Amino acid sequence: MSLLAAEHVGKRYREGRRERTVLDDVSLALHEGELVVIYGERRCGRSTLLRILAGIEAPDSGTVRFQGRDLAGHGEESLGAGIGYVRKCFRAGEEQSVLAQVATPLLARGISVRQAQLAARSALQRTGAERCAGAVLSELGAGETVRVTLARALVLSPLLVVIDEPAAGVELSQRDGVLAQLRTLAGEGTAVLAATGEPSELAGAHRALTLSDGRLRGPAVPELARVLPLRAGA
Amino acid sequence: MNARETPARMHSSVNWALLGLVIERPSYAYELARRFERTYEGALSLSSVSHVYTALASLCERGLIVQSSAAGQTARSRRRYQPTVKGIAEHAQWLVGQVGEERRRQRVLMAQLGALAKTPARALAALDAYEQACIAEIAAAPGAGSDEGPGTTRLVARLAGEETRLTLAARLRWTQYARAQLQALAATQPAGSE
Repeated sequence: MSLLAAEHVGKRYREGRRERTVLDDVSLALHEGELVVIYGERRCGRSTLLRILAGIEAPDSGTVRFQGRDLAGHGEESLGAGIGYVRKCFRAGEEQSVLAQVATPLLARGISVRQAQLAARSALQRTGAERCAGAVLSELGAGETVRVTLARALVLSPLLVVIDEPAAGVELSQRDGVLAQLRTLAGEGTAVLAATGEPSELAGAHRALTLSDGRLRGPAVPELARVLPLRAGA
Repeated sequence: MNARETPARMHSSVNWALLGLVIERPSYAYELARRFERTYEGALSLSSVSHVYTALASLCERGLIVQSSAAGQTARSRRRYQPTVKGIAEHAQWLVGQVGEERRRQRVLMAQLGALAKTPARALAALDAYEQACIAEIAAAPGAGSDEGPGTTRLVARLAGEETRLTLAARLRWTQYARAQLQALAATQPAGSE
């Protein structure tokens, strides 16, 4: 069974008096330990698709199942139990330390401060951001911010991480490290679903698909993926 | 070969690739064959071990490389190859010429796509396949995270990976443009026309 399975997903938005079809009959399956990246131009609907697949937004038609369960009506629950959606912004507590920020999702679930901080340190270590633990958010570079937000999603031990534009704004010298981090997560068994408008962020993906005119093109299920030799560092 | 004869232009990618290796580090035929396999794995291949000897002979004949004549060398000694000034210059020229070669290949591709444009649906299907091939190549391109191999190997992998990503990124953007053009063309054609 697929970890995540979207079937015939459709989404339309009203723009003034016109209606725009953003997603048209999109189907996609994702297995554990897979890194799948969706590429598309700006306004192609890739962020909408990610939000729908993460259970944050409901589709107009079609279904999205996570571990066999329909996300309709359970999206927010799944976000805390199984799906980690990487938010690039920090809503409050800008002056909090990185460690405190990463620990917040656990504290919100009633975990003790000590346990939450231990888990937060472990998540930061996993994303290569352990040195940022004592810093405040304003002191972080773009690459570090990505690693910290990734750690905040990982602290709840999700089976699937969803991330939009993983390396946006990250310096070229750090970009490959961030992308390699996603590949490492997948290698450890966590499925990763990313979307990007920057082709270089497709690097290392097990499957790469394109989204344009609301249609998803490419290997929608793992079995259709062309077997790519994993070259050095990819 | 008659000394007055001008050798035909060298087209063999294998020969040029081998010349590059000799320029990088003068060496023996066997070692060059090993380095060839390591360096060009997946991109170029020797048809057999003897292929390297044929290629080296061709490079010698064209005056692009010479066999070293170290003192005390006997007829049974292994022959070491090194580049000539002419070889280094022509290799540099060939590298520059690859820009034109790349453009030529792309022109052929465009002409092929143009041949399909009479039936836009067919051209769009070909374009989709082309786009998928591009993104699959980008996904498989070497990244900078590799710790494998010596420094030079890692550098080559990084350079090759970035070149692949940047080149194919431009092609991906072109497919978006081409798709819009073909869709516009399809919209002008009567329904059901092939």
